[in-house]
Amino acid sequence: MGQGKSQFTEEELQDYEDLTYFTKKEVLYAHKKFKALAPEKVGHNKNAKLPMAKILQYPELRVNPFRDRICKVFSSSNDGDCTFEDFLDMMSVFSENAPKAVKAEHAFRIFDFDGDDMIGVSDLREVVERLCSPELKLSDFDIQQVVQNVLEEADLDDDGALSFAEFEHIIDKSSDFCHAFRIRL
Amino acid sequence: MFKLQDSAKMDEDIEEVETRPASSRRSVTLRNNAARQVAVNFMPSRQLPYNTLRLRRNNSEHNALLEEVAADDADAPDNAEKQADIIVREMEQHKRLMEDDPEAEELRREALRDLPQGLTMKRNVRAKLSASVSLRSKGRPISLWKRMKYRAGFAWKRVRDQLREVIFSFEFWYEPIRRIEGHFGSAVGSYFYFLRWLFALDLFLTILVVAFVVIPQILHDDEKKETVQMTALDFITGMGGLTDSLLFYGHYHDGDISTNSLLNYNMPFAYFFTMVCLYLMFFGVLCYRTAYSYRLNFIETSGGLSHVFANKVFCGWDFGVVTQEAARLNANSLYNEFKELLSEQSRKNISISWVRKLGQYVTNVLVSVFVVALIVGSEWGLWLLLGWDSPLRHFQLFVSAVLTAVLTICPLIFHVVVKLEFYKPRTSLYVSLARTWLLVAGTLLLLLVYWAREHAQQCWETSFGQEAYRLVLLDTAVSLFVLPLFEFSRGLIYQWGRSESAPEFNIAYNSLTLIYNQTVLWFGMMFSPLLVVAVTLKFLLLFYIKKECALRACQPARKVWRAAQTQTVLYMFVTLSLFTTLFGLGSLFFRTSSHACGPFRGYAYVYSVVSEGVLQLQQRPAARSVLLFIIRPGVIGFLMLFLCVAVYYLRARSRAQRDMVAILRRMLRLQARDKDFLLTAIANVANGEWLYSPKPDDEGPDSHTFKYLQEVRKPSNSGFHFDASRLSHSLIEGRPRSFVKENRSSNYDRKPDDGDTDSSFSWQGSNNYLNRSE
Repeated sequence: MGQGKSQFTEEELQDYEDLTYFTKKEVLYAHKKFKALAPEKVGHNKNAKLPMAKILQYPELRVNPFRDRICKVFSSSNDGDCTFEDFLDMMSVFSENAPKAVKAEHAFRIFDFDGDDMIGVSDLREVVERLCSPELKLSDFDIQQVVQNVLEEADLDDDGALSFAEFEHIIDKSSDFCHAFRIRL
Repeated sequence: MFKLQDSAKMDEDIEEVETRPASSRRSVTLRNNAARQVAVNFMPSRQLPYNTLRLRRNNSEHNALLEEVAADDADAPDNAEKQADIIVREMEQHKRLMEDDPEAEELRREALRDLPQGLTMKRNVRAKLSASVSLRSKGRPISLWKRMKYRAGFAWKRVRDQLREVIFSFEFWYEPIRRIEGHFGSAVGSYFYFLRWLFALDLFLTILVVAFVVIPQILHDDEKKETVQMTALDFITGMGGLTDSLLFYGHYHDGDISTNSLLNYNMPFAYFFTMVCLYLMFFGVLCYRTAYSYRLNFIETSGGLSHVFANKVFCGWDFGVVTQEAARLNANSLYNEFKELLSEQSRKNISISWVRKLGQYVTNVLVSVFVVALIVGSEWGLWLLLGWDSPLRHFQLFVSAVLTAVLTICPLIFHVVVKLEFYKPRTSLYVSLARTWLLVAGTLLLLLVYWAREHAQQCWETSFGQEAYRLVLLDTAVSLFVLPLFEFSRGLIYQWGRSESAPEFNIAYNSLTLIYNQTVLWFGMMFSPLLVVAVTLKFLLLFYIKKECALRACQPARKVWRAAQTQTVLYMFVTLSLFTTLFGLGSLFFRTSSHACGPFRGYAYVYSVVSEGVLQLQQRPAARSVLLFIIRPGVIGFLMLFLCVAVYYLRARSRAQRDMVAILRRMLRLQARDKDFLLTAIANVANGEWLYSPKPDDEGPDSHTFKYLQEVRKPSNSGFHFDASRLSHSLIEGRPRSFVKENRSSNYDRKPDDGDTDSSFSWQGSNNYLNRSE
């Protein structure tokens, strides 16, 4: 692990520092973690593209119900495979220093399964289904109720789906979001 | 008057809207959702270039659409290029962002950082932006003053960045806490952060106290060497040989300390100012921290209480969780919470009878009275015990042991008792926290008063210091050995399968231990400077012991614990205890001073160190009278009155704003209904189904309807191909079948396919629009 530093030039680190919420040290630390996922491949090419299955080995992602969505949202090729830069991006958004608005933006994309830029009924159903464990499943009626209630609370303009503005409003008023939507490096 | 009528009318409308069942309302509005979205995108509100929110959203909309293209489009990089162009163009609308000076550069950097795009895209945008900026710059020379300002700003930024880097490399206990968070979620993690924060604070205190108070005294002691004999018991009681030692107030010198150099060190000044400065400084820091946290978690989110379900759905999952076990528990607890919320909701419809309500209320009051009686009773008992003239040899130690026992057991009683009451879970936690804090602070105040009043002739400060020392020591035994042992054995029993439930990590009780220790420290630090060192060491040990305890013996809690607000409350209690300390010490210092011992034995009162020692008010009658005027009750009363008025004013304003929010919400709802209505009308008009002809002169070239019709509806519009069938198809796929059916039968499907299609219509269309409006 000692040669972690030699893989980046000073300019590259500065570049990363400018574009993410990390300091140079943290960037290097992130790279160490990334390298741990596939030591040989990354040792060869520091910005190697790892398949989604490999990225999902990352401890926090392994147990996350939205893991595939997270990978897809951050993948630059949109198929879930992530290069180091994509990974760095992901960690930067999940880090403590990222502002709520940026986190909300990405959370919105993660929860927007069908990609229509609205969190509709089907998206909400999917979210609720994924949240509960496989052993204790909410009944269809209960999910329906939960979704109805969410819309009732948050859908300000009554169009049957949450737009980004409405979603951001919820997030803005939630004191726990920043605590929950965080992965420490 | 007009306004009143209006709002009354609106209220009626609202009622009309709200009495309709939600489901039917929704199914109406969901009709033609996809096609409508396109039309909605043409609305003026969606096209304000200077609206940052939209700027960012637009991009991701394009992103979503581009994603669909990417699958069958070979030249994806070209799309990325175009997308970057869009972002750059929209950023160029911000004047401030595009100036050619360092400040704007910093702004640009921040804007780039906040873009919800990948790094490649950010880089692309940055290159284009800097090219555009250098093209625009006029090359004006910067004035000297501005150059100075920028240089200072840069230096400050560099220092800040480096500081962050340093903090990151020095951030102790990073990995252990991360591991704990992975096992138990962020709530237990926040307990450890609290512990770490207190530890860091005490470490800082230790350094200052040792440097300014203890070391000079050691230097002084070196000159006159004398040895005292100490027994092991003295270490526990703090008495005997330890009484006259560095540990306690009484030992400290009351005059100048002169070592071999020429410089003199005035011990009373050093002692007084170090302590007072530390107390006040930390009071300031704590107040700021608490207020900040309070604002973040209570005030700014106060409107969010109504989003119970939405909060559960969107913020329910703890992304920091690592282990399978924790993930399973997290999922299960979410399931339970959904169930609970739903049943609560159905219960809400059945109104609770007033008899029941009254019963609950009476129970709460009765239990509260019982608890208050318990607290007062134990304080009273303590007072009697302290005054008892006992024949026991180590009576003081006995008293401290009793105290520790009471302070350990009472919180447990409070935790049990609160279950009899009818509070919400979070409120009940706060209630038992408050009760425990009341007991602790009351006990310490009582001790302070007892020693100051009953033993004023002897060195009461040292006695109180000893008392605090014993409390810290005995609590060390309890919280470092007894409780962990208990938890470990429970964990073992669970692992052997003898018990159904594993011990959970009790955040409330553990946090209380921390608050208790910190409170004792606040009270005792003045009279026993080295107590800081003891408490710091104790926190250090506590961290490792609790960590092992948690990881080896405990299970994650079955209920999801909302950490953010609880954390604020914990900070609040720490601040409150410091305030109580300041209050207690302040009022004592204006009244008494030991003439027998301590650094202040040369002064009549402790505060005379300032008034006589530093300011020498005796010789300056004018300054003295000004000071006396300022601390008159009238002046302070006036200040209080002023503060009250200010608070009242702010409250009135916040209430007015809350009303405004409610009104705006209603208006938003009505607007949305209007939009809905108009869109339906447009669809009807376009299909020739509208019976009444709208006035043609309403639709001048400026109206949005006109533009909409021109650009969306006209098939020959070059550069903009509206392919409704494909659009509705792709957007509807993820929806439930019923919506799909509805959409299929809608009029968009009936349109003939116009051949060559380009699904990237949205951004091309909006470009078109933007260009034309410019």
